[in-house]
Amino acid sequence: MKWEVRVAYRRGVQDPEGETTKSALEMLGYGCVEEVRSAKLFIIEGECTREEVEQMCRRLLANPVSQEYEIRRVE
Amino acid sequence: MPAERVPLLDADDEALLRLSRQRQLALSLEEMRAIQRHYRSLGREPTDVELETFAQTWSEHCVHKTFRGVIEYEGEVIRSLLRSTIARVTEELSPDWCFSVFEDNAGIVDFEGDYAIAFKVETHNHPSAIEPFGGAATGVGGVIRDILGVWGEPIANTDVLCFGPLDYPYERLPQGIKHPRFIFTHVVAGIGSYGNNMGIPTVNGAVLFDESYVGNPLVYCGTLGLVKKSCYMRSATPGDVLLLVGGRTGRDGIHGVTFASTELEEDAEEAFGTAVQIGDPIEEEKIKRAILQVRDERLGSAITDLGGGGLSSAVGEQAHRFGCGARVHLERVPLKYAGMKPWEIWVSESQERMLLIVPRRNLERVLEIFREEEVEASEIGELIPERVLRVYYGSEKVAEIDMDFLFGGLPEVRRKAEWAPPPLEEPEFEPPEPGEALLRVLSMPNVASKEEVIRTYDHEVKAQTVLKPLQGCFSGPGDAAVLKPLRHSWRGVAVSCGINPEYGKIDPYWMAASAIDEAVRNNLAVGGSRIALLDNFCWGSPEKPRNLGALVRAAKACYDIARAYGTPFISGKDSLYNESPMGSVTPTLLISAVGILEDVRRAVSMDFKERGASVYVLGMSRRELGGSQYYRMLGFLGRSVPRVVPQEARRTFRGVEEGIRRGLIRACHDVSEGGVGVALAEMCFSGGVGAEVELSRMPAESMRVDELLFSESNSRFIVEVARGMEEEFEELLRGCGAVFARLGVTGGRELVVRYEGREVVSLELERLRESWQSGVRV
Amino acid sequence: MSPRILVLRGPGTNCDAETVHALRELGAEPELVHVRRLVRTRALEAFEGLVIPGGFSYGDRIRSGAVLARMLSHALGRELQRFVDEGKPVLGICNGFQVLVETGVLPFGQVGEPALALMKNASARFEARWVHLLRCSDSELLGELPEVSEMPVANAEGRVVLPPGRAQEVLDELLQNSQVALRYCTPSGEPAEGRYPANPSGSFWDIAGLTTPNGRVLGMMPHPERAFSAYLHPCWTSGRGTEHGRVLLQGFVRCAGRA
Repeated sequence: MKWEVRVAYRRGVQDPEGETTKSALEMLGYGCVEEVRSAKLFIIEGECTREEVEQMCRRLLANPVSQEYEIRRVE
Repeated sequence: MPAERVPLLDADDEALLRLSRQRQLALSLEEMRAIQRHYRSLGREPTDVELETFAQTWSEHCVHKTFRGVIEYEGEVIRSLLRSTIARVTEELSPDWCFSVFEDNAGIVDFEGDYAIAFKVETHNHPSAIEPFGGAATGVGGVIRDILGVWGEPIANTDVLCFGPLDYPYERLPQGIKHPRFIFTHVVAGIGSYGNNMGIPTVNGAVLFDESYVGNPLVYCGTLGLVKKSCYMRSATPGDVLLLVGGRTGRDGIHGVTFASTELEEDAEEAFGTAVQIGDPIEEEKIKRAILQVRDERLGSAITDLGGGGLSSAVGEQAHRFGCGARVHLERVPLKYAGMKPWEIWVSESQERMLLIVPRRNLERVLEIFREEEVEASEIGELIPERVLRVYYGSEKVAEIDMDFLFGGLPEVRRKAEWAPPPLEEPEFEPPEPGEALLRVLSMPNVASKEEVIRTYDHEVKAQTVLKPLQGCFSGPGDAAVLKPLRHSWRGVAVSCGINPEYGKIDPYWMAASAIDEAVRNNLAVGGSRIALLDNFCWGSPEKPRNLGALVRAAKACYDIARAYGTPFISGKDSLYNESPMGSVTPTLLISAVGILEDVRRAVSMDFKERGASVYVLGMSRRELGGSQYYRMLGFLGRSVPRVVPQEARRTFRGVEEGIRRGLIRACHDVSEGGVGVALAEMCFSGGVGAEVELSRMPAESMRVDELLFSESNSRFIVEVARGMEEEFEELLRGCGAVFARLGVTGGRELVVRYEGREVVSLELERLRESWQSGVRV
Repeated sequence: MSPRILVLRGPGTNCDAETVHALRELGAEPELVHVRRLVRTRALEAFEGLVIPGGFSYGDRIRSGAVLARMLSHALGRELQRFVDEGKPVLGICNGFQVLVETGVLPFGQVGEPALALMKNASARFEARWVHLLRCSDSELLGELPEVSEMPVANAEGRVVLPPGRAQEVLDELLQNSQVALRYCTPSGEPAEGRYPANPSGSFWDIAGLTTPNGRVLGMMPHPERAFSAYLHPCWTSGRGTEHGRVLLQGFVRCAGRA
């Protein structure tokens, strides 16, 4: 089994990497960019259940105060 | 995974060259022929492991063929440029405080009691061109391991970076070359990341910009270390165990050495993609702790880093050093993944690995120390009495190399060098308004503040940084950093550098002379004395006679000036294939300097301290604006490159040294890029104290006001002398025979410059500071 | 008496040597212990104080301090909780602050899920600079620290983030308990109000340091061990050096001596 866990800032929490990336892209002339948000992707392989992956997120991969996560099974 | 026999015995010249190219060996025809002759005499074909060993050990990166070879230059035959210039300085001076020079991974000088200071500067240019973050980070990681490789505790890093202009037009970039801004941002991030993560402060450096670096940036990384002489173990004997410690070995970093000895081609990214890697500073931090513990218990008999050439160089060189041979079992090397061929394991340059040599009786304890720090340590072989390198993979012998041929069989490299002064003219122009010009020079990229870079580096971790890279209450550009590395002693270390590639475009001799002068005066300015030097040459291909001619001239200046100053070279490194589709880099010599202070409480920073104090200029000002920032701002190069007059300079240096020791000097700043004008402005806005000066008092050749302000003559300082101390100070300078003049006084919120009473510059500190801070935006 | 203080380290801790030195100089008996060894020996209760120094524990992977924090709360959760409950002083500096937040110990003294976060600086980069700090609490851990003090910060993730939507509510609670110990301020002592570089990280409400409600656990981004001697101050050559870090650590050692 293969899981993808995406951890990103919650809406309302400032995302400096996203902002810096946006202004850098604008500097390169990409006027089309409206928003950039940064996220971290963990790819977890092994016989884990969705509940276990949920738990991993709550216990380690995300800080629930400032981050949200999304779990996707890819294989 | 067996070794392969490479058919060499019957190959013709063309086939030999093809083989060298196809296997990325970077060996010349002469060298391939020498290997062929050797194997013909043995009556067998070499294995791939053996061939790779020669490629690594004989690479420019590892043996410095150019510096050690024969050079024909203007009818002169130079045998070993290194021995006849740089090493000769040290040999002739032979100071008793030099503990180890040129023979170790780093130069080592005495410090206090049992403690000595090690210093090494490396370059990591090609990897940084291809993968700037990883290239720069592993550059830092590598030079830190050089310090661990002399049983040193790393205490500070330095970095000097050269990039293309940040506003370089995208449309002019050739295929495959990354934009200078991209390289700049990622190199700075890479350097910060490695040093910060390891907890080693980055305390000194420089950032320079020039068009010739667009295709080939320069990344100089330096590390200082604290060595305990009583724990400096260098006495391995046959039977001692070869212990490979640290990270696992992978395909990353294969052919880094041959890569460094090749010109960057358009498809370099593809061809040498494996040569680049990302570092793991936390792994290295753990290795550091374990090694320092092994050191303190004196358990090892020798140590070296695994740098260029990986195991092949490290094992070979150590065995050679102790006059013996070695037996290595490659199947014992822990790998990142299965499927690596023996030669790949042998030459891999995977990061964060070190080779320890340990007497068998100490092995258990050493392994325990590494276990404690969670670092893998593997016995991979041992030293043997016969002078031969035997490499096994399982039961198969994959290499048996005669050490004498490996270290003595390299055909002497013979190269031609030539140099002619470039056809340059001194410009004629209507000088701009001096105040306006000063503001513009302050914002020139090579002069402007690098604060935004410096503050991304932790420069205070370890709590030993007494003078920081940014000085004064308003963060001015310090001349040198001062460290206080021992808890029980006030003795300090001053670290500085000198570099000015602009001058080299006019004459590499005076560029080298100026770099030494700058490194030395920067060190003196903070109170450093008993100064030792390191040289790092970054040049275009030495196979081009003009490049080599420039190198010869620069090396000759290194001898002349360092000899006259009594400052020995203790270590150095050259990087000689800095070529890209855009041509050679402009010859660039970095001189790093390390001095000591008896008492860090006497250290002097460059910011003006007090109102009503006297401002002096020390040293003679000449009409030397060739290569100056002022000319560059106006679009000129000029011809009148700054020279060095050693006898005169030494008198000034003595005055500064003694003035600081006696506590007469409150602020001291060397005069470099941007001349007296920039030096005064920096001292004012860094301390938040203005000044009023009269330029016509400057000891100088006859010249215009703008020339007085912006000439970059060497060996000069601006100093602040406390009220009431002037007489003693002037007497001291006269006693030294130094040239000097009192220019004016500090005070007010402006820098006011007069010439024969007429006001030529009058600028508020805030405006000066803003110009200086606006020059380089990250 | 000289209190025994456990200085915790893990892979990537790198401010331990100067922290140990500072504590020893102040008369404490610091002992540097690797987290693995602590997990093996469970000897936490033998100490009168705990300091988690700065660095990049476990390379700050996942998030700053997250891995070391899980080692503590997972393997030593009960011991740590007891230590905190007994009112023994705990100091987390920089990465140590991040660790204490990730264990849940800060701000409310409960080992468990984090109640706030230390995130990437608003400037999106590492910031090494001296800051002014406004003292906002009479916690004895701060010792004789004056109302306005100076110390350096050096971090990439020092921005305090309170739960979005509940930020004001949480802040009110912190203020009510006077848990905000240190705020970034101007040289004259006005709160920085988020302005860079006085507030170098963009930290919420200029928070630079927090304590538990009983004031016995202090986490702070600035480095007191780097402000331990006047010669480490950036303006000492002008005679303006201070030793506020020494003052603060003195308070901590004194507190441990009474524990």
